[in-house]
Amino acid sequence: MTIPTEIDPTTLEALRESVAGVLTEQCGSTALHAFIDGKTALDRDLWAQAASLGWLGFGIAEQYDGLGLGLHGLGILHTELGRQAAPGPYVATLCAGQAIAAGGTEAVRKAWLPRIAAGEIRAAIPVSLNDNQRIRQSAGLTLSNAGVSGELRCLGSADAAFLLAPAGDVWVIVELAGAAGANTAPVAMWDRTRETIDVRLRDAKPAAILEDAAGVATALLQAMTLAIAADSAGAARSITERTIAYMKTRQQFGQPIAGFQALKHRAADLATRLAVMDELVAHALHRATMGAVDAEIWTSLAKAETTEHFVFIATDCVQLHGGVGYTWEYDPHIYLKRARLNEILAMANPALRDHAAAALADTTRAGHSALELGL
Amino acid sequence: MSSILEAKDDLPKFRAEIRAWLADAVPADWKARMARATNEEYIAGQRWWMAERRKVGLAVPHWPAEYGGAGLTLQHLIVIAGEMARADAPLTRMFTISLIHLPGTLFPHGTEAQKRRYLAGVAKGDVWCQGFSEPNSGSDLASLRCRAVRDGDRYVINGQKIWSSYSMYADHCILLTRTDPDAQKHRGISYFIMDMRAPGVEVRPIRQANGRAEFGEIFLTNVSIPAENMIGRENNGWRVAQATLASERGVIAFEGAERQCYEIEAFYRKALASNAAWLNDDQLRREFMGFLAEMQAGRRMLRRVLAESETPEASASVLPSLVKLSATVLRQRICSFMTRIAGIEGQDFALLAEEPFGSPMFDFLSAFSGTIAGGTNEIQRNIVAERGLGMPRI
Repeated sequence: MTIPTEIDPTTLEALRESVAGVLTEQCGSTALHAFIDGKTALDRDLWAQAASLGWLGFGIAEQYDGLGLGLHGLGILHTELGRQAAPGPYVATLCAGQAIAAGGTEAVRKAWLPRIAAGEIRAAIPVSLNDNQRIRQSAGLTLSNAGVSGELRCLGSADAAFLLAPAGDVWVIVELAGAAGANTAPVAMWDRTRETIDVRLRDAKPAAILEDAAGVATALLQAMTLAIAADSAGAARSITERTIAYMKTRQQFGQPIAGFQALKHRAADLATRLAVMDELVAHALHRATMGAVDAEIWTSLAKAETTEHFVFIATDCVQLHGGVGYTWEYDPHIYLKRARLNEILAMANPALRDHAAAALADTTRAGHSALELGL
Repeated sequence: MSSILEAKDDLPKFRAEIRAWLADAVPADWKARMARATNEEYIAGQRWWMAERRKVGLAVPHWPAEYGGAGLTLQHLIVIAGEMARADAPLTRMFTISLIHLPGTLFPHGTEAQKRRYLAGVAKGDVWCQGFSEPNSGSDLASLRCRAVRDGDRYVINGQKIWSSYSMYADHCILLTRTDPDAQKHRGISYFIMDMRAPGVEVRPIRQANGRAEFGEIFLTNVSIPAENMIGRENNGWRVAQATLASERGVIAFEGAERQCYEIEAFYRKALASNAAWLNDDQLRREFMGFLAEMQAGRRMLRRVLAESETPEASASVLPSLVKLSATVLRQRICSFMTRIAGIEGQDFALLAEEPFGSPMFDFLSAFSGTIAGGTNEIQRNIVAERGLGMPRI
């Protein structure tokens, strides 16, 4: 498999416009609210459209029927999904694809990647990977001759076709839909734009065993941190734009509240954070795409930093809206809930910063600089 | 022509030549010497380094050849700045107005005679200062009141200027004055070149919170300036001043960010080698990792500022304001961190240090020059909100 190098920026910009165009049309505020209130199946409709447009194959190599757009392609997709707070199991499925591509045998890749790229199947993955113990103990799944057993809270939809998770010393792929010994229960979450499930396995036969546990775990963590960082950057920018647009229409004391300097300065601080977030995502994508020795440092830090900025921004956007910001009817709470989920996904942020610190120490001791921009 | 300038058409070779020259020219102990220097020695050190730069054609390399420069491009300046940072070369802040703001003003608005005379002086080492701010005209610069009254072929100046960096060492001043007190405030301003040695010019240094005195207050009493020293037309000074304010395209901030990056790296390597206590403190270690992330983001943004600086969109972009907000606050946070981890030793009075962050309180206090100078961060927020986000001015 060839490692994709940097893709032409014009191609990427065209890609962004096309994804953004579809999502803006299909997943606007009104459509999203209707979905959240259980009135539509927006998640299914969007998924069908994503599949037909090839979005689910962005990060998958062409030899497995993907589009081979690499991490930058995925970065764009997740950013735009974040912008509209789009519902659907994209993080779980797309990240599972990256992990299988990195740590699966050729047979496993051939069996699973084309179906992921086509949007035929959706994945479930652990909501969180514990550093240091992320292979052995995080999952709570065990593998014996009888099969895989245990319980695990997963990111993914109730109709997920398979689970990718660590079990003992290896990672396993376990079929969930209608398979013997596999049971899933949806968990109602505050963030209604994503789904988590409790997976219960009792002697479930693994569909595949991935022996390269470290390779899978590293690739999954990298994919999740990048996806969540990109989602956070897009979502934070979108709710900020919506909030500033609202402030320009909301009149108090005979003027739009956007004219008050106290609020302008708050908005400018949000814009500054957004600029930083975009660069953190871009830098992490760049280093990961290049396969740089410091990639893990920057993907970890990008997730930790952007999710905390997103929480701050979404919180401030509720406040800047005033009373209506506290209502179910307006958008800020949707983004705030997405932000709070993003914050805890993949790995807790303190652990991610420690993970980055350990990688920085290793890189430095090995005589490399982790601060080169390569620009 | 120096071997550096001979390599100007081959950017990698140009970089290698500068690197080789710096390896030779930068004294290993310059920081140690500056750490013990008096104000006069500190100033002498800057003049010495500018003279060294001049020897190899790096004093005014970005000016057109006809005014004594080498016609280097922005790309060359970025290389020079990057290499100066990498080599931890001495600073030449005293020459900022001379090298950047004066030519940035004279090239678009000066007469041929002004360019010939004053740029030649700068090439030889003249120091210029900026007389813009006044005690009652800071963020609201256009409200300035320093008066210039025409008297035959001269103008007579009375007023006061403040926050003028290195004005006590300056040979000349770029001066904003009010020539029409009855006009709307932006329309009654004229722009002059003033000889700092003219009778009636008095400079008093202002001691800063960090103990140093780099800027001064300028008192002007019946100072006489020849009319030919006006830049641009009478009462058109505000427009000319926009060229001055726009002349710094981000290279200085870029060099500052690169210097900070090298300092942080050196500081971290030392901490790692000595297993510093803060590295074993969960909260402090995580805080430091956050700084690294934001520092990289800022360095990327600065590269974008430089890349867009030569495009038509540059004048409307708020990216420089976003970078300033991010970078100056980050600098404050980093220096605050360094002060905290230094413990009681960090409270020992010391100015410039030999080691990166070896004088954290000095660095922490000096960081306000970033958040306040060059348009306070509050003014930057107004710019971002109004020009960038389209929030109404009321």
